Amino acid sequence: MMIGLICLLLTLVIYMAAKRLYKRYPRVYLSPLMVTPCVIIIFLLCTHIPYEHYNAGGKWLSDMLQPATVAFAVPLYKNFKVLKKHAVEIVVSVLTGSFMAMISSAVLAKGLKLDTSLVTSLIPRSITTPIAMNVSQVIGGVPNITAVFVIMTGLLGSVLGPMILRLLRIENEIARGVLLGTSAHGTGTSMAFGFSSMSGAISSVSMILAALFTLGVAPLLMLMW
Amino acid sequence: MKHAVKGTFQVAVLMLFSYAMNQLAGLLHLPVPGSILGIIVLFILLESGIVKLEWIEVGANWLLAELLLFFIPAAVGVMKYFSMLESDGVRILLVVIFSTVVVMASSGLTAARIAKHKERKVS
Repeated sequence: MMIGLICLLLTLVIYMAAKRLYKRYPRVYLSPLMVTPCVIIIFLLCTHIPYEHYNAGGKWLSDMLQPATVAFAVPLYKNFKVLKKHAVEIVVSVLTGSFMAMISSAVLAKGLKLDTSLVTSLIPRSITTPIAMNVSQVIGGVPNITAVFVIMTGLLGSVLGPMILRLLRIENEIARGVLLGTSAHGTGTSMAFGFSSMSGAISSVSMILAALFTLGVAPLLMLMW
Repeated sequence: MKHAVKGTFQVAVLMLFSYAMNQLAGLLHLPVPGSILGIIVLFILLESGIVKLEWIEVGANWLLAELLLFFIPAAVGVMKYFSMLESDGVRILLVVIFSTVVVMASSGLTAARIAKHKERKVS
């Protein structure tokens, strides 16, 4: 318990330091979401503290994800007019993106000869953790492994997002929000809020739509596979 | 100081609310988790004026601003799977990177194209 508490405090301190560092040197690979876990993992490996002991404190932070997700209702409410106005492009592009997420993950994983259980665990990797785990269970994956792939997607998405936005010259706020929310769930949405409240709201909607669409369609795709 | 007290109180309210939504989703055997149900219910409450924006706005903004912090313990949890990643890590990484780029390009370009088309129509 004591170790958990210390680990919780340590996480907060490292996170705040990483945020400061990022503010001074805003490079994608210095994102606090990359730096903080890396520093903590190195610390845990050096001190031989098992993850379970760390997570006794860490789970307090994970639990906050729930109210934080509910808080997305606020930007949705504030930007509802804009969302309604752009409903068509948001829905069409989120469905396209989510479909591509499932297909490309499955085809590539299969092509690289990964085990079937890993292939099915990879299929829902682009959506928010609780729903991804649910989908994984339904289609024969391993929910806990899917959770790892979801967080990997979030981490890589936070690095790839700005690069792809620049590469494809996407400056439209709607497209930015859709791209980040569809590809990298909560992490992407958090980045979208960095651009503007409107991008964030669009990203929140995209994240929710993508999750619901995947929940409904992934089992059907598995039947056709 | 007053702002801090208000924010903390509002975060507590949102925590209670999300807990209640979790219980509700479980009770009704819904296929969606409590947090997603919570977004929808809270949105309806705001839109219908039952819940006033001022009651939760400060707390909600706090939570959203520090969202990344709440992902960190899960990200540290990847260390439990180092042995799996040792054997299949490179291939898994390739899948995640390539597929993420595909999702970004397809969703982003589709949205940008439709938005452009719409703009042209208006002008």
